[in-house]
Amino acid sequence: MPSARLATAWALFQGLLIEALPFLLIGVLISAAARWFAPGGQWLQRLPSHPVLGPLSGAALGFALPACECGNVPVARQLLVGGAPLGTALGFLFAAPVLNPIVLASTWAAFPNQPWLLLARPLGAVLVAVGLALLLRLVPEAELLQGDLLAERRLALPLSEVSLLERRSGVLGGGGLAGRLSAPAGPARPALAELCRHGGNEFLNLALLLALGCLLAALVQTFLPRSWLLAVGSAPTLSILALMLLALVVSVCSSVDAFLALSFAAQVTPGALLAFLLLGPVIDLKLVGLLGLLLRPRGLLLTVAGAGLLVLLIGQWINLWRL
Amino acid sequence: MSAEAPIRPRRISPPIWQRAAIRRGVLLVLWAVVLLRSSADGRLDLLLRASFHPLVALAGLLLLALALVQLRLGLVNAAAASERASRRQGLLLLVTAALTMAVVALPPAPSFADLAGQRPRDDTAAEEMNFVLPPAQRSLTDWVRLLRSQPDPDLFAGDPVRISGFVLPMAGGPPQIARLLVRCCLADAAPVGLPVRWPGTPPAPDQWLRLEGRIGVEDGAEGRQLVILPSQVTLIPRPARPLEP
Repeated sequence: MPSARLATAWALFQGLLIEALPFLLIGVLISAAARWFAPGGQWLQRLPSHPVLGPLSGAALGFALPACECGNVPVARQLLVGGAPLGTALGFLFAAPVLNPIVLASTWAAFPNQPWLLLARPLGAVLVAVGLALLLRLVPEAELLQGDLLAERRLALPLSEVSLLERRSGVLGGGGLAGRLSAPAGPARPALAELCRHGGNEFLNLALLLALGCLLAALVQTFLPRSWLLAVGSAPTLSILALMLLALVVSVCSSVDAFLALSFAAQVTPGALLAFLLLGPVIDLKLVGLLGLLLRPRGLLLTVAGAGLLVLLIGQWINLWRL
Repeated sequence: MSAEAPIRPRRISPPIWQRAAIRRGVLLVLWAVVLLRSSADGRLDLLLRASFHPLVALAGLLLLALALVQLRLGLVNAAAASERASRRQGLLLLVTAALTMAVVALPPAPSFADLAGQRPRDDTAAEEMNFVLPPAQRSLTDWVRLLRSQPDPDLFAGDPVRISGFVLPMAGGPPQIARLLVRCCLADAAPVGLPVRWPGTPPAPDQWLRLEGRIGVEDGAEGRQLVILPSQVTLIPRPARPLEP
């Protein structure tokens, strides 16, 4: 009965969209509040730049700025523009969508009877974020970040940290004066009209991307044969790969993905369930466009490959432990 | 006009409809309408768990307020009014308008049987029942939960039963009477159902029925199982709040 199935897909789409829109709005409001209260500056540059402590401190920032992955891309860009160490900003970008009160609360609400998941999800997210930050450190910053972002970032960095050839402006030879001659106090607080313009555009672009993601998710859920998921559900490695693929395609916001996972939780292995909850917040189809605002294609490819490998390994380990 | 008239740089604002801030305001109104209309027309009862309903209405009101701020900025703020809408924003407006109007105009009408047929059964761990209603007042969900905490069906044989639910077809057997449990939204709905020994031919899938009768016990594939023995089967419209928490 294709018409009944289409009607079901349409209802699922509305359920997903209407449930996620308030969370998207919260994310955009937090990002706007972050622009208003902390438009950048020297405190960002004082965050640790240690290869492991940097991403950890960035991940911890997720608790202060509780946005899901839709809301945290603009916040991570703001961190980079403000001159935060690369590892810190990447740690925030990859871990904050999980390590924040809203997402942890929704994971708990969806799986109250699986306490191990409530611990494994944030721990796994931190592991993936630190791993990805270490991996992306191997690429020089100039080849990793997008050009316009790099140009804005260099304006905020102390002169001593930017080579002469990389500068587009500033005082030549001024690096010796405590190395901070042209380091500004940070971008000025934006005007209210500018804040509204930025926040409004952000919400409208993301809402449409969210709607397309929900449409895809509803169709996949309605038309994906149940036997397909059941067939791979019990195979340890295959089930992880299948759910990773689903996380990439479905592109649901991290504050609601736990509820989506609930619908197939009983059919798949625990490792696959965790893999779905870990990979989706880092990378999915909806995020490719957004992450393209930060990373060059090479960085994006490394992110996809690195995240896929790390999540697969974590999923395998969980299956060894739980199965 | 005197020759000495001061030359003041003036921002030239585009016509109202081509101002980016005005279009942003209109787009935000469209999304606000989706949330507010959904809150008002009762469709949320079909899509989301009740605890999320106030959040949706609040988000709708907030979006409406933000839209009004944008519209006002586009009319009175010189800087905002001078920003011309881009071609990309025009496209965004078209797609968003089409989508939001479709959502408002075509309310959801899911097939519960179809949805339930694709989902695994809700098999959350047995809960401790600290309060049990008299048999005739228990809902279908109450019965399922009670059976989980006390799985021996013989304990309930002969009890009066009065429940409602939709008809869920079962592969290789007669249809069951079922309900959908929802923790967040329709996407995570999981069915719970009870076997019924139908008098005469079994009803068509997706029909909503009220069953009155008593509890029986029969030998099934998995040992002794509870079965509803209806003495009266009444066709009812779909309840206003068909999802169970």
